[in-house]
Amino acid sequence: MKIKVELFGICREFSDKDHLNFDFNNEITVRELKNKMIEIVKQKFPENQNYHEMVDKSAFSLNDEVVGEDLKLNKNETISIIPPIGGG
Amino acid sequence: MFHCEVVDVKKISLDRAQKFIESYKCGASLFFIGTVRDHNNDKTVTGITYDSHDSMVKKSFKEIYDEAITKLDLQHPVAFVEHAKGYVPLGGISIVIAVACKHRGQVYDFSRFIIEEIKKRTPIWKKEHYEGEEETWLDGEQIKAKK
Repeated sequence: MKIKVELFGICREFSDKDHLNFDFNNEITVRELKNKMIEIVKQKFPENQNYHEMVDKSAFSLNDEVVGEDLKLNKNETISIIPPIGGG
Repeated sequence: MFHCEVVDVKKISLDRAQKFIESYKCGASLFFIGTVRDHNNDKTVTGITYDSHDSMVKKSFKEIYDEAITKLDLQHPVAFVEHAKGYVPLGGISIVIAVACKHRGQVYDFSRFIIEEIKKRTPIWKKEHYEGEEETWLDGEQIKAKK
């Protein structure tokens, strides 16, 4: 099951692209996607604790709505990661 | 009446804001302009890069406008909100909130409500650039799903 995660804010540091692609064998929830991202970020940036803490503090949005972590994702879904915000 | 946009800093225009909020029904108008200041957390700031989830930002701005009308019981409300995206140098404008209403008291409440709610819930991020130090994404408010 392919999932595309659009990156924003500090999470843009995770890739040269504006997104990350995932391929899961089974149906997953937002929480499971988040845990997978934390795992990958820890592997890729072991010296940067702030990065995985930021993923842990992040929300996710689908179709411009922030969604709960129990939501099950559909195949080929595009979801956005929303790290803690602070504009203005 | 409402306008909002996420724009390149070079496109932020107070003239357009002024033209948009002009109304013979309104006796008061107010401009709030956010700019990049030269210090934060004991560091010398040289500029800020703003990132934005554009479609969520515009949706959030409209929700805030609608809530303000109801909560503040505004009469003839008009609002123009534009936020910069990309690199904004020292002194540059990051946000313009221009509002107009029937009476003066309402414009202060209206403008304040909009900026405070943007800070709490609109998906915009800041990366600060410093003199002689590594740039940093600022931590902020965690967003939660609506119940």
